Amino acid sequence: MKENVKTKSFMEKLSWLIYKYFLTLISMLRTNIRDYGMYIALMTIFVAFGIMTGWVFLAPVNFTNLLNQTAYVSVLAVGMTLVIVTRQIDLSVGYIGAFLGAYVVVAVENQGQSVVVALLGALVITVIVGIIKGLFIAKIKVPAFVVTLAGMFIFKGFLMLKTNNRYIPTSHPFFQKIGIGYLQTYEVAGVDLITLIIGGVLLLAVIFSGIRGRKKNVKLGIPNEKIELFVTKLVFMSAVLSYLAWTLASFRGISYLLLITVVVVAIYHFMTTQTTLGRRIYAVGGNPDAAELSGISVEKILVIVMVSMGILALISGVMYASRLQNTSPNHGPFWELYAIAAAFIGGCSAAGGIGKVVNAVIGSIVIMSLKNGMALSGVNANIESIILGSVLLLAVVFDIYTRNVRPVDLVGMHYAKKEFGNELKQAKTELKEAMLEFKLAKNEKKDDVLEYEYKVTNAQGTYNKINERIRIAKEEDFIKV
Amino acid sequence: MEKDNILVMKSITKLFPGVRALDEVNIHVERGEIHFIVGENGAGKSTLMKVLSGIYPDSSFDGDVLFDGSIKHFHGIKDSVSDGIVIINQELALFPDLTVYENVFVGHEVVKFGKVVDWNKTKELSKKFLDMVGLDVDIYRLAGSLGVGKQQLIEIAKALSQNVKLLILDEPTAALNENDSANLLQLLVDLKKEGITSIMISHKLKEVVAIADSLTILRDGKTIIRMDRKDINEQEIIKNMVGREIEDIFPKRPAYKGGEVVLETVHLNSYDTNLNRYIVSDANIKLHKGEVVGISGLMGAGRTELAHSIFGNPKKYKISGKIIAFNKAVKLSSPKDAIDQGIAYVSEDRKKDGLILFETISQNICIADLKKISKFGILNFFKQNTYAEQYVKDLDIRTPSILQQVNNLSGGNQQKVQVSKWLFSDPKILILDEPTRGIDVGAKYEIYTIINDLVAKGMSILIISSELPEILGMCDRIYVIAEGIQTAEFDIKDATAEKIMESATV
Repeated sequence: MKENVKTKSFMEKLSWLIYKYFLTLISMLRTNIRDYGMYIALMTIFVAFGIMTGWVFLAPVNFTNLLNQTAYVSVLAVGMTLVIVTRQIDLSVGYIGAFLGAYVVVAVENQGQSVVVALLGALVITVIVGIIKGLFIAKIKVPAFVVTLAGMFIFKGFLMLKTNNRYIPTSHPFFQKIGIGYLQTYEVAGVDLITLIIGGVLLLAVIFSGIRGRKKNVKLGIPNEKIELFVTKLVFMSAVLSYLAWTLASFRGISYLLLITVVVVAIYHFMTTQTTLGRRIYAVGGNPDAAELSGISVEKILVIVMVSMGILALISGVMYASRLQNTSPNHGPFWELYAIAAAFIGGCSAAGGIGKVVNAVIGSIVIMSLKNGMALSGVNANIESIILGSVLLLAVVFDIYTRNVRPVDLVGMHYAKKEFGNELKQAKTELKEAMLEFKLAKNEKKDDVLEYEYKVTNAQGTYNKINERIRIAKEEDFIKV
Repeated sequence: MEKDNILVMKSITKLFPGVRALDEVNIHVERGEIHFIVGENGAGKSTLMKVLSGIYPDSSFDGDVLFDGSIKHFHGIKDSVSDGIVIINQELALFPDLTVYENVFVGHEVVKFGKVVDWNKTKELSKKFLDMVGLDVDIYRLAGSLGVGKQQLIEIAKALSQNVKLLILDEPTAALNENDSANLLQLLVDLKKEGITSIMISHKLKEVVAIADSLTILRDGKTIIRMDRKDINEQEIIKNMVGREIEDIFPKRPAYKGGEVVLETVHLNSYDTNLNRYIVSDANIKLHKGEVVGISGLMGAGRTELAHSIFGNPKKYKISGKIIAFNKAVKLSSPKDAIDQGIAYVSEDRKKDGLILFETISQNICIADLKKISKFGILNFFKQNTYAEQYVKDLDIRTPSILQQVNNLSGGNQQKVQVSKWLFSDPKILILDEPTRGIDVGAKYEIYTIINDLVAKGMSILIISSELPEILGMCDRIYVIAEGIQTAEFDIKDATAEKIMESATV
C-alpha cells in the first residue's frame, strides 16, 4: 500500500501523523489493557478524590501521609503476591506482624533489650514460624487456608499475652525514626533539594534502563514496542516521577517508611524477575506437577515463600508499631485481608503462576487511597468497606474479562481496510444475498435447501476470512511494501 | 426366527475437530447376551459408548440408536438411564465419603411425601441390591474405605436399583486383581440369567474368550467384524484388531550397532499405597548407548508408572530393586536426582505434567536447567533467549516469537517445546512417554526425525507408546508389559504386531 505522497499537503500529512499516533496509542492500551488497567484506575481515583476534596487529597502533606499509611500494607502485599502465585494463602500474617511489632516494642521498652537484639529475636521467631507453616502446607498437605487460619488465632493469642492486653506506648528514638522520621533534608525555598536530586537520579535511571532494554532487545532479535509508544510512556513516567518528587520535596522529603517500602519492593522485584529463585517460584505456581518433574523441589519453594512472608510480616509489624508509636492488642485485624485484596487488585491470579509484586504495591495504594480519600472528602466512614469490597470484585472481574485479549493494531487495520475494504464489502453483499436465497428456498420447501445452506456457510467463511485478515493486520506488513 | 435385538446402532458417525472418531459404525446386541467391544487404544470404543449413553447428545453425531425397538434421542445421561441403559466407567463415579447405602441410591433417592428421603427404605433396598451382586459388607461403611473390586460391585448394585436393562462396563477389570476380576465376570454371567444384557469393553482377551456371547471389533473408528460365540478365538481377534500395514511414516536410521549398557533396572518393584497394589513388578530392562527401546502395553498396564519409578519417583511409590545408571547403582529419590544423572523424561500429558502453559517458550525451555543460564542465581536473559532461539530453529518450532505463551501453540509445537526443554538439560538418556499423542501426522514425522538425530548423536532413548506402529517403526528392541508385569522382550527383527498384542493381553 503506497501513500500517494505528492497529492498530500503538509497539513494533511501532519494530521495523519497525529491521528496515527493516537491509533497506535489506543492499540497499545487495548492490547495490554491488563498491564495498564490498574494504573488507569489509580489515576482515576486520584483525580476523583482530588476534585472531591478541592485538591487537598493530592497536596504534599496528605500525599506524603498517604504513602506512609500504605507502607505496611505494601510490604505485606509483596509477600502475599508470592504466596498467591504459588497457589496458597496466608491469613496469619496480620496477627503475626502485630505480634512481632509488639515483641520488639516490649523487648525494647519493658525488657531493656537493644533494638538490634530485639529485631534479631523477632527474626528468629518469624523464620521458625514460617518454616513450620511451610512444612504443614507442603509436607503434611494441610490446606494453607486452615494452617494459616489456625496461625491467625494462635498469634492473636500471643499478641494479647505479649501486650498483656494493654496499650504500650513507646518513645524510643528507633521507633520515632522509623515511624515518623524523614531522611536528611536540605531545604531551599521550602523545597527539599535532596529529594529532588534523588528523584532526578531515578528519572535518569528509568530513561537509561528503558533505552538499554531496547538495545538489548535488538541484540536478542526481540521486537521492540513502537518508538512513539516508548517515548509516550517515558514522558508519562517522567511526569509522574517529577510530580512525586516535587510533592514529597515540598513537604518533608522522603520518610523512612517510604524508603523501606521502596527497598523491599526493589529487592523483591529483582528477585522475582531476575533470579533463578524467582523463576522457580513462578514455575511452581504455574504448574506444580511440571515443576516437580523439572527437578524443582515444590516443598522447598513453598517453605521459602512462607518464610519470606514471615520476614515481611516482621518488617510490616515494626513499621506499623513505629508509625503509631505504640503497640496494642488491637493491632493486626484485617492487615492480611488488605494485603490479599491488594494482591488481587494488582492482578494476581488465584489459579497461581501470575502476579507481579510491583502491581501489588499499586493495589495497596488503591486501597489506601480509597480509605484516605473518603475520610478526607467527608464520606460516611461506614461506606468505606462497601466501596472497597466492590472495587476488589470489579478488579477481579476486569481481570477475568481481559484474560484473552487479542492484540490489535489499529494503524495496520486502517491500511488493511483501505486495501481489502472493497473485497469485504463485496463479500458482505454476497453473504446477504446467499442468506436471502436460503430463506426463500426454505420457505418454498425446495428439495435442495441444503445446497443453499452450503452457499451461506461458504459466503460466511469468505467474509470471516477477509474480516480476520483485516483484524490481525499489522503496520509493519504495509510499510515494507 | 427373527432375532430379538435389544440395541442396534446404525451407521454412527462422530466427528471431532480433524478426526473421524467414529466412521459409520454399526453394532447390534441381542437381548440377554454379553457383548464385548474390542479394539486398540483410540479405536473409538469409549466414544461409541458415550454416544449410546447420551453423553454426546443426539445432535452431535450422525446415525440412529435403536433401543428396545424404537429410535432414541438421548440428550444426556439422564435420558439413557431412564430407559434402562446404565454405563459404568473405568473411573468409578462413587462418592468415597458417603456410606455404601447412600451411594447405591444417590441421585435417585427413595422418597416419601414427595421430597423427604426415606432412609429406612433406602437401607432395606440397598441391602437387597447388594445381595444381588453378592457384596456382603456393612452398609454403614464409607465407600472410599472399600477396595476397588467392591466399589465396582456397589456401582453395579446402583445400576440394578435403576432398573437396568442394558449394563455397559468400560474396562471394568483394568484396575482389579485376578480374584476380583473372576468374581465380576461370574456376576455378569449370573445377571445374564436375570435377563440383564451387558456390553463390556475390555483389553483382556482371556476374559473375552471366557464369557463373550458375541463381540464387535473396532479399528480406527470403523466396525471391522462381528463375531458370534462359536467363531471367537484369541488369534482371530488379534488379527482383526491390528490388521493394518505399517505405513511409511517412519524415517529410516542406520541399524543399531550395539554399545554399553547405560541404564538398567534390576528387580524393580513399585507399590502404590493408594491403590494398594503393585503397579510395577519385577521390571528388568536394559538400555544401551545409542539404542531406541520401546515399552509397549495397553493403557493402565503400568508403562508411565515404570517411567516415573525410574525418573525420581515423583508420585512417591514404594520402590524396591535397583536402578543402575552408567554402571553405578544410583538412588533417585526426586526428579532432580534423575536429571543430575543425565536422565530426562518427556511426560505423557504435556499440559498437566510437562509445560507451564502461561509462560513463554523460552521460559519453558530453560526451566529444567536454570544453572546453565544463570550466575550466582541471577538469570542471564541473553543466554536464555539465545538457547531458546536455537531450539526453535533446530526443532523447527513454528511460532512468531520465543516470547509466545506455549498455550497458544499447536499440539505438535507444544510437544517440540517439551522435547527442547529436556534436550536443554543435556540428557544422555531420554524417556519419551507417548511422544506423539494428540499431534498430527506431519508433526509426528518431525518428532521421529528428531529422535533419529538424537540417536545418531549417541543418546539412548526409551519410548513408551500405546501405538503399535510407532513401537514397531521406531524401536530397536521392545519390552511388553501387562498389569505391571514384564511379559515379553522382542528384538525388532522378531517383533510383529500380533506377537506384541498377544503378550500385552494376558
